[in-house]
Amino acid sequence: MKEDIEQQERASLLALERATETDSLKEVRLHYLGKNGVISLLSEKMKTLSKEERPILGRHLHQWRTTFSQALETKEKLLNQRADSMAFEDLDSSLPGTSFPQGGLHPLTLLTDRVVQIFRRLGFSLAEGPDIDDEWHCFDALNTPAHHPARQEQDTFYLPDGRLLRTHTSTVQIRAMEEAVPPLRIIAPGSAYRRDEVDATHLAQFTQMEVLCVGEEITLADLKGTAEYFLRELLGPQTECRFRPHFFPFTEPSFEIDIRSPIISRKWLELAGCGMVDPAVFQAVNQRRGDSAYDPEYISGFAFGFGLERLLMILAQIPDIRMLLENDLRLLKQFSGEF
Amino acid sequence: MKIALSWLYDYLKTSQTAQELAQVLTRAGIEVKSISSLGVRVSHVRVAQICSSEKHPNADRLSVCQVDDGSGKTHQIVCGAKNYHPGDKVFLALPGAILPGGINIQVSQLRGVQSEGMMCSAQELGLEEESAGLYILPSQTPLGMELNTLLPEETILELEVTPNRPDWLGHLGIAREAAAFGAGDFHWKEEVLPPMKRDHSLFSIESLEQCSFYSLRSLHNISVKKSPLLLERRLQAVGLRGVNNIVDCTNYVMMETAHPLHAFDADKIKGTLSIRFAHEGEKLRALDGKTYTLRDVDLIIADQHGPQALAGIIGGAASSVTETTKSIFIESAVFNPSTLQASARFHHLHTEALYRFERGTQAHSALEASARVSSLILSESEAEAVEEIFVAGSLPEKRILPLRFHRVRKQLGITLCNEGISSLLKKLGLLPSPEGWEVPPWRLDLTREVDLMEEIVRLHGLESIQASHRSFTLPSTPADHAYDAAMLLRRRLLAAGLQEVKTPILCSAPPTNQNALLLRNPMGEEHACLRTSLIPGLLEVAKRNLYQKENSVSIFEIGKIFQSLPKNSLDHEESLSLGILMTGQQVPLSWRRREERSFDLYDLKGIFEHLVPGKISFSSSKTLFPSYALALDFFCDSKRCGYLAYLTPSEARELMLTGQEYSVIVAEVALSSLCKTMRDHSWQKIIPLSKFPSITRDFSLVLNKEITYDLIEQELLAAREPLLKKWMPLDTFTDVKGEKVPLGKKSLTLQFTFHHDDRTLRAQEVQPVCEHLLLRLKKTLGIEIRS
Repeated sequence: MKEDIEQQERASLLALERATETDSLKEVRLHYLGKNGVISLLSEKMKTLSKEERPILGRHLHQWRTTFSQALETKEKLLNQRADSMAFEDLDSSLPGTSFPQGGLHPLTLLTDRVVQIFRRLGFSLAEGPDIDDEWHCFDALNTPAHHPARQEQDTFYLPDGRLLRTHTSTVQIRAMEEAVPPLRIIAPGSAYRRDEVDATHLAQFTQMEVLCVGEEITLADLKGTAEYFLRELLGPQTECRFRPHFFPFTEPSFEIDIRSPIISRKWLELAGCGMVDPAVFQAVNQRRGDSAYDPEYISGFAFGFGLERLLMILAQIPDIRMLLENDLRLLKQFSGEF
Repeated sequence: MKIALSWLYDYLKTSQTAQELAQVLTRAGIEVKSISSLGVRVSHVRVAQICSSEKHPNADRLSVCQVDDGSGKTHQIVCGAKNYHPGDKVFLALPGAILPGGINIQVSQLRGVQSEGMMCSAQELGLEEESAGLYILPSQTPLGMELNTLLPEETILELEVTPNRPDWLGHLGIAREAAAFGAGDFHWKEEVLPPMKRDHSLFSIESLEQCSFYSLRSLHNISVKKSPLLLERRLQAVGLRGVNNIVDCTNYVMMETAHPLHAFDADKIKGTLSIRFAHEGEKLRALDGKTYTLRDVDLIIADQHGPQALAGIIGGAASSVTETTKSIFIESAVFNPSTLQASARFHHLHTEALYRFERGTQAHSALEASARVSSLILSESEAEAVEEIFVAGSLPEKRILPLRFHRVRKQLGITLCNEGISSLLKKLGLLPSPEGWEVPPWRLDLTREVDLMEEIVRLHGLESIQASHRSFTLPSTPADHAYDAAMLLRRRLLAAGLQEVKTPILCSAPPTNQNALLLRNPMGEEHACLRTSLIPGLLEVAKRNLYQKENSVSIFEIGKIFQSLPKNSLDHEESLSLGILMTGQQVPLSWRRREERSFDLYDLKGIFEHLVPGKISFSSSKTLFPSYALALDFFCDSKRCGYLAYLTPSEARELMLTGQEYSVIVAEVALSSLCKTMRDHSWQKIIPLSKFPSITRDFSLVLNKEITYDLIEQELLAAREPLLKKWMPLDTFTDVKGEKVPLGKKSLTLQFTFHHDDRTLRAQEVQPVCEHLLLRLKKTLGIEIRS
């Protein structure tokens, strides 16, 4: 019996050594440690032994079981480790990743949203107005004289009933003031239309952003502060702004805003028109409202506006504005990120 | 408008360069579009006189001239031109001169005769872009003078003048403004105005509204000839052509003072001149050689024979100044801008005079310009002027504007003291008076207090104003909500793999749609109409990209569409719409070899179902557009707000390149209802999570092909089994060979999910429910379990 145990012990350790895979190791475990395994059977046989022999051999058997179990576990760990390290051996991790269909927003939407978010930080709300408007909202209320060239059929699209396609989003200024009393702080992105020949820098239909702030004691300093804050948020803190005197019928004084920034251009670039709302505009609104909510003696305001396509051309270095109309997916997909 | 720098510097004493001046003008609000130079620097070209000319002995087309260059020595020059006579003065290029074209002048032999230089045309000297023959100089041009001295290189500034400043349409006005902004000193000797006389026998104004001021100055003993070289060159520099000394002088003064003038041959004017509207059908042969048929809204200057000028726009040929003219009338007037503008537009005329009249003129400058041109003509010739100037209409009046200094500071946010503000206004020629500020006559744009404020801030500059932010809170607007909803929708579509596009609003008129809004004055038929749908634009985009070999196009647009409405309609003429188009491969080509298939209706349906889960439904559409093969109406909260459709295969093929056979699926949905459902401004309330597991059972069914899924759903609902919480199709197919399922039948695998809210469900409980459901499907729809 003793020889039997010792022989089996040697055989077990040899079998353990020979097992080189987790599967064969499992067999070894089953063979020796299983319910009907070698060790169990030997334990069973113990019963037949004498009282003197039984404790000695019993101890021996127990020791064997312990050392064998430990060795088995160690071997198991080793084999697992080896198997784990082999698991992805054949994988070429340098192949490209799975591509999922990617959507994207149009760059004009991305830019519009960026602009909207900046003005919202300042507390501006959105406003809207119709693309088809009347001469009063587009010209008269905005202090544009009856014989002004912009009103001509060669510059403005008219409908047969005498209404027109707005030539600027400034119409929304008037509509907002008709609807609400001051203070007022709105932005309005929207389409505008002019009878321009379409070329590299002109479209007959384009997108403008209108900004209006009206209240008591709104001054030129507020216009400057707002415009500069907006432009530096959009174009970077090192952006320089220049306010160049200009003329618009609906603001007095009027300016054009030029910007210069090391990341965009070293040259001054014309970007926006702005000014203090002309008292005549307030008076036109009052007349339509039938009150004096916008009395220019107490109420003042600033307005500014710019073309979003033009801004986009500058930011994204698009040489021809018509590229924005083509909707070539190869171009649009380049704007997968946000601005 | 063009400004010649040397001309400008007649009135502006400064040492500034053109670039420095451009910066000052920019600061003043005059945009400088370009700075260019005219003329060239060439040496060895001087004024010479042709003494004699003889035929070249060996060439018919050439002649041999003896030319005196003032040095006392005559040069023998061989010449091919014909437009000269002995005695004429010309520019002679001597050996050593290098002309603009790179022509190197040397002594040479021409057909055996020595030529010691070249007599030049204006083109050869770079003075004009095109010219024929020699450039004949006025006889008074000093002999021997170098071209460089006579006609130095000129710097031209191209300016963009805003319509509110007609005074900037002359060199004087620009010089005055530049001086106010510190560019130099303004120098201008004001003309002594002649005594005014009202004489109704000479002319009469019919309507002061059309012509508020009219004046004539009478000059006699005129000799009409070529203008002095400098004057002619200056006019050419700013884009005008030399005509004769009289016309050139009126143009010169116009470019100087910004007030247009006209000269009539006084001997050709018969009877009293009248400033009146034309009679319908009257004709005027104008200076441009064309004959205009006038309307009764055209303002004219007429004598007893008829129209002599289209007021303020163009003169008539009959009374124009010619070589035989001996006495003239100088007209200087103020006309109604809109009347002139309408006439010019109708007759397709655009002249420098009109450009200035339509922006605004005034009597003071009219008188000044008239006096200036008279003295200019008198200084150039032996003419005599009648002492008085004949006038009619209203004479200039003083304009005084009040200004509140405290309001200036408040409105502009500046801290200037009263004296500071006053000194700025004085720089612009405004004069303080007890009632306010007297506005100089040329400043037509200054009519209100706010106009003076603009002047103050223009001079003060915005740089020194401290930027500020005023803060006040306002509630969000309906437009805010609409914007946020549209952005949310965009991002959902983006997550579904769709690319946003933007297509033009102006399109060609659809042949069938009666509701389309057409433009009265479109730019071509392709842009004659406001779009009534986004789909045609999306189809164009798909076409373009398929043509570019794109194999997967899934795009959307959110934009306005338009429809004309009957009166009293509650619909909106303009509304936001969502359009989607999908075609091509559903997944991009990849080495992963996932199942390759093209987009179909279910892809589009799925996108909508996930936008607002549970609130979207579809039903087959009764109204089908001819280009659609199959369409579903789209319901949002049970309200119809759009459709999904397959383009007919033949329409789809037209879009594709040869060899591609993809389906094209489109959808168009009104945004307002969709967005309202997506964002109803109430927080989503949660449904508590169940602690108990659910049981699922899959059944493969065989059924007639015609039985649609919605019929099965209706049956399952009607069964009212409280434990059945959910069902979904796992698979469906047919077999053309009839092996897996018989012909005319299809297979459908359904998964049922059972669940009890209060306890763990046992399998035995589910079994009878399944049996009931399957029995019901068999009874009503003849559906069998697949063996």
